[in-house]
Amino acid sequence: MGEKPKLAASDLQIERRPQPRLLRILTVITALGFAGSLYLGLAAAGTDILQGEIQRIFYIHMPSFFGAFTAFGLTLVGGLIYLARRREKWDRIALAGVEVGLAFSLINLLTGSIWARPIWNTWWTWDPRLTSAAIMCLTYAAYLMLRAGIDDLDRRRAFMSVYGILAFVTVLITLFIIRIVPETIHPVIVGASPQNAQGGFEATSGVVMALIPSLLLWLIFMPLTLMWHRVRLENRIEALNRLKTQALSE
Amino acid sequence: MKITITLAAFILALLAIGAVNAQDGDQNGVAYFRSRAFNVPILAGWEDQSTETVAQFYLAEAGATIRTAIVPQDDILAAAGADLRAAFGVDFGGPGYQDKVNLADGTWTVLIYEPDARISASVMARHVENETVVISFVESDPAGRILMLAVARSDESEADASGEIDAATGRLLDPAVEFFRQASLALPSGEWMVLSAERYTAMGMVFGNDSFLALAESAAEQLPALADAYNRTLLGFFITPDNSTYLALGLAAAFIILGTLVGSLFWRERALRKDLALLQVLAGEDG
Amino acid sequence: MKTPFITSVAAIIKKDLRAEFRARELVSLMGLFTLLSVLVFSFALELDREAREEAVSGVLWVTLIFASILGLNRGMAQERDQGGLDATLAAPVSRSAIYLGKLLGNFFFTAIVALVMLPLMTVLYGKNLLDAWVIGTTVIGVFGFAAIGTLLATLTVQTRAREALLPIAMLPIVLPFLLTAVRATTGLLNGAVEREWQSSLGMLAAITVIYFVMCLLLYRYVVEE
Repeated sequence: MGEKPKLAASDLQIERRPQPRLLRILTVITALGFAGSLYLGLAAAGTDILQGEIQRIFYIHMPSFFGAFTAFGLTLVGGLIYLARRREKWDRIALAGVEVGLAFSLINLLTGSIWARPIWNTWWTWDPRLTSAAIMCLTYAAYLMLRAGIDDLDRRRAFMSVYGILAFVTVLITLFIIRIVPETIHPVIVGASPQNAQGGFEATSGVVMALIPSLLLWLIFMPLTLMWHRVRLENRIEALNRLKTQALSE
Repeated sequence: MKITITLAAFILALLAIGAVNAQDGDQNGVAYFRSRAFNVPILAGWEDQSTETVAQFYLAEAGATIRTAIVPQDDILAAAGADLRAAFGVDFGGPGYQDKVNLADGTWTVLIYEPDARISASVMARHVENETVVISFVESDPAGRILMLAVARSDESEADASGEIDAATGRLLDPAVEFFRQASLALPSGEWMVLSAERYTAMGMVFGNDSFLALAESAAEQLPALADAYNRTLLGFFITPDNSTYLALGLAAAFIILGTLVGSLFWRERALRKDLALLQVLAGEDG
Repeated sequence: MKTPFITSVAAIIKKDLRAEFRARELVSLMGLFTLLSVLVFSFALELDREAREEAVSGVLWVTLIFASILGLNRGMAQERDQGGLDATLAAPVSRSAIYLGKLLGNFFFTAIVALVMLPLMTVLYGKNLLDAWVIGTTVIGVFGFAAIGTLLATLTVQTRAREALLPIAMLPIVLPFLLTAVRATTGLLNGAVEREWQSSLGMLAAITVIYFVMCLLLYRYVVEE
């Protein structure tokens, strides 16, 4: 039996690539854009005459759902590509999508609930869209629990890709339920509305002006930047885990 | 890279455009007078004499003023008297007519002051917490006499407001007047019925469990426009909702969740470094 | 050479049915659970007759979903103990055929339980559940549960926490089924206008088809070695 070369402390390194320039630019843009969209929604936009100040929460509420949509969408794409190509990278993207999307959809749910209190006079109602949004959150929370329960790495990646693909149906249901189940009282903001929602409001040009930049920011920059950071973290976590097994097997 | 920067520039440009254009106060195309405490529609064609806290519109050809103000006083009668005195420099004395009606947003006190033949004031007032909101129609046209009021419906099965008109004119006019000619009139505030007598014209509009009435002696031509303006003010009036605490709560929730997400990235990164350092120390001891 | 699709599906169903016919474990387990659940709900809601009648469709579907989770877990545990799935996987059979075979087996067992449950609830809750549309809704819903459950049970049986994870993975995904099925059943039982329950039933059928196709395509990724 030949002596295996011992691991020296200097070998125990996680590759520390510096942040790519694009990521740093993205981070700065996202931070600035976030501050800008807050300024637009909280200061520049006029106060809604019927709903008062609370209407401003809408400038976070709706964009955060779009952000969750992008993130969960990338989970779907990551899952599909992982199953086809078997590159770890895509599974990490899927995982990052779930974490970021879950945070965004929680923001969406909570801000909606807080808006509903003064406007609908209740924190929560079992309205179809609220229900489906809550189901969506629970599904992705289950994703994280399930993922933690699978030890074998290859199996975990394949299984979670499958689950991430299945889970996306709940996102689509949340998005389209307002058209399918018309008795929802959730206001339809964009597009013609079949119902005269209570507590709804007209998306006047001022509202749209303040909304579009926020929507773009949450739809593209917020999820991409946060997910990229999360993927880099996951790269390092897995590198460290490999080092640990290596060190233990010595 | 190019795409990112282009998109970013696009977003920043949108932010700038948004900031310029985001001001928007109109509701369904109706311009509103807006203040800290209340909101009323701005009456087009009337001279706007509003200040920051008081909405006041004046129509010279009718000598009519429609004024909405909030008075820091609990007593409704005192508040209405004080507001009228402050606005018109006339002591209106006590009300000659007093009644209460329940509208959708609360109980309103209906008051009519007629200190002399030249001037009259029709007032609707109600409490808003410890203050009193006073919506008044003041008419100082020497040629006529115009009064506005709201009354609870006497017979809800009846389709029009003729019963209420009879009851109210019975109280206001002495001797009582028999109205005969009848017509209906569609105005922006709603569907009105018009009753006429020799020198008098009365208008009534049914609204829920109440009827809004307008009564004119001699000056009948102006009545529809005035009644419409006053009732648009009454129906369009609403208290500015105060829910900024909820906005703060919502923002706090959003920030806490985003902060937790970003914080967990940092925290996990730090834990990772610590683990790595420990691993290196252990490897160092072995070797 | 692969065995023809239909033949393999039939063979898998036959194997599951024969095993069940011999042991009678799954159906009796699910049946007993169903009986207990219906009785427990009946006692719990006894105080208020009206509430009990209102709750019929909720009780029906909640019981069915948990009964099918119970059956799926037990069935998978049997497979694991006897090495049944590994043997099937080793055979030259298309993965979709395995999925379809297992799905139809699971669907069959749960459907039996459901069809026994309907007359039972009719007696205990004083609402007539033996209506062609109610039975149809039940069959579609149970098929949807089985379609998702077969895939997820195969997945969770290979995890550390096994049985405990199936409800957590499955409940949020089947909630859309549960919602539409309960809506349709409630509408049917309360004699609502056709349009009302038909839209729910249509949605139930649509999501059943969507999930069935997805699971059929994805199954091969959860059984690979």
